[in-house]
Amino acid sequence: MVKWKRHLQYQWFLLPILLIYTVFTIFPLLKSVYLSFTNFDGYQKTYDFVGLQNYARIFTDNAIVSGISFTLLFAFASTLVITILAIPLAIVLDRNFYTKNIHRAIFFFPSIPSGLLLAYIWGFILAPISSGVLNDVLHTLFGMKAQPWLSDPVLAKVSTVMVAAWAATGWHAVLYLAFLQSIPKDYYEAASIDGASRLQQIRYITLPLLAPAMTVSVMLLLTGGFKVFEIPFALTRGGPGFETHTITQVIVLRGISETQYGLASAMSVVFFAIVLVIACFQVKLMQRREERIQ
Amino acid sequence: MTNEHKRSWLLDLVMLPIGLITFFPFYYILINTFKTMKETAASPLHLPKQWVFTNYVTVFQETPLLRSFGNTLTITVISVLLMVLIGAMAAYPIVYNPGRVNRIVMLYLLAGFMIPFQTTLIPLFQLMTDLQLVDRLYGLIMLYLGGAVFVFFLMMGYMKTIPRELSEAAIIDGCGIAGIFWRIILPLLKPITVTCIIFQTMWIWNDFLAPMLFLNSRSNATLVLQIYTAKGEFSVNWPMFMTLTVITLVPIFIFFIVMQKQIVKGIVGGAIKG
Repeated sequence: MVKWKRHLQYQWFLLPILLIYTVFTIFPLLKSVYLSFTNFDGYQKTYDFVGLQNYARIFTDNAIVSGISFTLLFAFASTLVITILAIPLAIVLDRNFYTKNIHRAIFFFPSIPSGLLLAYIWGFILAPISSGVLNDVLHTLFGMKAQPWLSDPVLAKVSTVMVAAWAATGWHAVLYLAFLQSIPKDYYEAASIDGASRLQQIRYITLPLLAPAMTVSVMLLLTGGFKVFEIPFALTRGGPGFETHTITQVIVLRGISETQYGLASAMSVVFFAIVLVIACFQVKLMQRREERIQ
Repeated sequence: MTNEHKRSWLLDLVMLPIGLITFFPFYYILINTFKTMKETAASPLHLPKQWVFTNYVTVFQETPLLRSFGNTLTITVISVLLMVLIGAMAAYPIVYNPGRVNRIVMLYLLAGFMIPFQTTLIPLFQLMTDLQLVDRLYGLIMLYLGGAVFVFFLMMGYMKTIPRELSEAAIIDGCGIAGIFWRIILPLLKPITVTCIIFQTMWIWNDFLAPMLFLNSRSNATLVLQIYTAKGEFSVNWPMFMTLTVITLVPIFIFFIVMQKQIVKGIVGGAIKG
């Protein structure tokens, strides 16, 4: 009896989180799965089970196919570009130079404001008309003719990834920087006594010891990449056509604007499955790599 | 490295153009807020020939900016504080009353990290409509409280590092189980609380999707939502839109300047724990 009372005194602390998490996360998740087997349209009270019909329709719906493939492309491409840029940036920012602090601030600042706002700013720069600064500059410097940065299917995707990289590289460089600063200085001293060049030191000391940081950074980038919405939405509105529609935008379009709840739910369930598989795979891969290096 | 203490101008020179390009978008919108529409179109890159400040006056007249600032502040402050409290409370029994039940509870909560919010979007939309939480600031706040799972995760990691002797000593002094949390544990969580507050503040202050879906009226809009609306309204008047953007960047810039050290510490702390 006394033991029970003791338990309860602890357990009631869990009540608020369990309530909120169950109502706003678990219940909607289960309901998504349930709705994906129905033809519920949001208006009629009665609806039927349609089996796997919604799942079959996913693959014939242009918007959905584009949404899933662009979101995956964005997640992987932005992760790759940001990682490739952030590691050298962190190594440079770790060195001692006069404008180090101001540079750290400049690279870091774009990760603070909302992606929507940043993408709107870039929208002006990448605009096709004469006030589009990038076209203007490229024309003056190299005599290049105006490029449709946001309305060509390939260029629009590249622009989206580049703007995302501009916004997030500094943040990830700071993360790598923290791990760099925890590498003991004697490692480098020992290596240089043994005659290792600066590049060799980076290759054999710095990069392997950054592996744990990379696990964290890549995980954050991928999961963030799957959630991408604001930057493509503000830059291209998802265009041209459905080319840069993200999964989120398609769910809002099919599910909320057109109230095709069943179809949109089926898509969101498929997306959940994809993310789950990638996440498990990634954790395994990264763990194995870290073990191999250490 | 070998010449650790020597500073070189070389890196300054190499980094200067890269830094300038990175900073360029901010320079670009800032200078154009002081121009007329005509001048922005004609020479977008140059400093204004004549500095005009009318854009700033007009933006304040035409958009309920202060109201939106207030809304954003209210939503952010209340939801972040509640999230931190709820997350810290949840970590307490998991760490101090371990057992099979609480292991299951922990796994149940951590599963939240694997669930993309898009998957919950449609039922959430229905739920919010059914509960009549749409276009209510407190509705949005309730929605955000789901973020407490992230706080719980960080708090749990930190709480494990607090020496048990502290709570054991408090029990001997006659402190109850609830008392230990409120009087001993909670005050000790301060460092990780700062991390949580920074992460969650940046998320909620900047969020666009949830306000877009769940706040319909302009008087309830957040700052980010105000920008979105203005994008349609001032679609031709670029300097006006840029002015609105610059004004909304001001509080963010101040936050950045004041908190830069804390933010960096937060990222690092969060990443190493996470």
